[in-house]
Amino acid sequence: MTAATAPAAPRPAPTGRSARRGAAAAALGSGRLLRLELRRNAMLWLLPVVFALFWYNGYREIMALPPMWNLRAMSLQNRLLFDLAVPVTAAAAWMGSREGRRGIADLVAGTARPRWSRQLAGWAATTAWAEAGCLACVAVVYLMTARQASWGGPPWWPAVVSAAGVPMLTAIGFAAGAWFPGRFVTPLATVVVFFGLAFGTQAASGDHSYWQISPLTAGAVDIGAAPGVATFYRYLPDLSIAQVMFTAGLTVAVLGALGISAARMRWLAVVITAVGLTAAGTAVALAGTGRFDPHGMIVIPALHNAASDQPVRYTPACSHTPIPVCVHPAFATFLPAMTAAVGPELTEFAGLPGAPARISQVTAVYRQVSGNGITVSGGGTSAAAFVVPDQVPGWLGTTGGEFAAQLDEGMGIQLASDMILGGDGQQSASGPGQAQLAVIAGSVRFPSSVESRDLAPLYGRLLPQPGIPADRAARRFAALSPAARHAWLAGHLGCGARCTGTGTTTARSRCR
Amino acid sequence: MYGHWDDYGALQMPLIFEAACAAIIAVAAGSPFGEPERATGRWLPYLRLGTAVTLTGLAAGALAAAGTGLPLAGGFPDILRNVAGLTGIGLLCATVLGAPLAWTGPLTYLVAGMYGLYTDWHPPALGTPWLWPARPPHDVGGALCAAAVFAAGLAAITLRGARERRGGDGPG
Repeated sequence: MTAATAPAAPRPAPTGRSARRGAAAAALGSGRLLRLELRRNAMLWLLPVVFALFWYNGYREIMALPPMWNLRAMSLQNRLLFDLAVPVTAAAAWMGSREGRRGIADLVAGTARPRWSRQLAGWAATTAWAEAGCLACVAVVYLMTARQASWGGPPWWPAVVSAAGVPMLTAIGFAAGAWFPGRFVTPLATVVVFFGLAFGTQAASGDHSYWQISPLTAGAVDIGAAPGVATFYRYLPDLSIAQVMFTAGLTVAVLGALGISAARMRWLAVVITAVGLTAAGTAVALAGTGRFDPHGMIVIPALHNAASDQPVRYTPACSHTPIPVCVHPAFATFLPAMTAAVGPELTEFAGLPGAPARISQVTAVYRQVSGNGITVSGGGTSAAAFVVPDQVPGWLGTTGGEFAAQLDEGMGIQLASDMILGGDGQQSASGPGQAQLAVIAGSVRFPSSVESRDLAPLYGRLLPQPGIPADRAARRFAALSPAARHAWLAGHLGCGARCTGTGTTTARSRCR
Repeated sequence: MYGHWDDYGALQMPLIFEAACAAIIAVAAGSPFGEPERATGRWLPYLRLGTAVTLTGLAAGALAAAGTGLPLAGGFPDILRNVAGLTGIGLLCATVLGAPLAWTGPLTYLVAGMYGLYTDWHPPALGTPWLWPARPPHDVGGALCAAAVFAAGLAAITLRGARERRGGDGPG
């Protein structure tokens, strides 16, 4: 009997102890492989590039935003993955192409570990370094914001989406490198991923767009990070959940597809790929069912938790002005700017009949119109309620002057017209008289940045037409001190809608 | 360019293709032959110079041809400036890091350039001419910077060639 024909010795059935020992040895071996990959990984060398890009592109712009959690966290989601895309995808493609690039595929094919297992170790190491870089960037932004924010805590979902996007980038890059090893695959794969990520959001249109699934999209496409979003109401995680589902599904699908070429585990790889694709496809479909809610966020009915619709409790921050102005504490930073902008009006109208006891900020109401168009309204018809414009100082380059101009055009006009014309339902059907227009125009202090074209819609309705006698009277009234205007109004405002004027001088305005 | 891109896309998308071309040219600067090629004679530097210039010209021409008949923002001067500058960065990277890793420079600069274009809409705009993609196509400062980087890259690749690492082609 030769060795070739000799029956093989029966392999002893593994006992529980030996099976555990085998599993432990396999885990130890995987740990060693991962440690080796971590030490030899290109992503480690690209971390400085990650930090430099993030500092240059993202961090400076995020930190220039007002210190509000919603603004900074949502901007972080929009920026971080964009800055990570190039170095992370490139490092992953570089690592994935290693065996082919160095011509050692046949050499390592003879090792004990299957190719898929080795590749997963390489991908995991690349992802670990990339994730470390990602989380470091998140930590810096969140720590700085925690020191500056006047209210609230960090919304974690934007950070989770960013962190979940990293394995997707590394999986795509790694797979591209593994499938097409060559010197050009790294730049080409990187450019393709960068292109897809950068321009994936541009195709989004409206709240039903499937393209909202892009992990760079934080909130509604045409609003994104706005001060009024996720302030009075919680940050809705619906879209974030779908995005995490999409990125995780795509990651699993790509990693599964890597193993399809391995004969021993083909079916397992196919099943994993199918599961991943199903998850990613479901997430895309869910994103398409989104609808824009009045609070400025995307609601996905299948993922929505109705408890998130409850308004957030808060204690307003109020100014110490003759008429207190009270805002949501997240906006407390802007309170000095607000009182400076409308301070003269507050002094002028304080204590007069019909003056509000205080003016409180209310939430804006957002509404989706055609395409990506969104209207922002709110504040009601009373001077006691107002909406802080989304264009707060520091938001997309908005200056303090522009913010003050918006406040005067909104809150200032509302307060003055409410006082002079009598508020809800008390205005005469024939519209305001010339004297009333003169007093309104003389009471509101528009900054020099406000131009006639900004005020044109108000002419004739709440402001006198330029050049007419009422306009000249308004200029003379505006020249008075707030105290003098207050005294004049105290003597004349009781006339309410019966006030009129001769059109020559404000002083001649009289009660009939 | 055939899609319905908004104002960002109109300017930013060409830059992506320009960076891709520059990265390919930079990676192609390396030679697989190594020592035998260097031993062949004194014409090698001219060959490297000619290859780099030819590929850069071809890339700019191909991109311009691809945009023919389309509202290409910046036009040919923009393409030429960006491709030349990005290629210069890539050639410098090839000299310092080696050709296999030469893509790092153009692709990293791509992200910075995209941000520069973004700031054109969202002030304060970045005014440095070293970020030439964000400058208007006929801006002299931006063109000079791009030309200087291209010249430096050409000089480096001509005189020294792409770096060859003894222990492999880089980390990983």
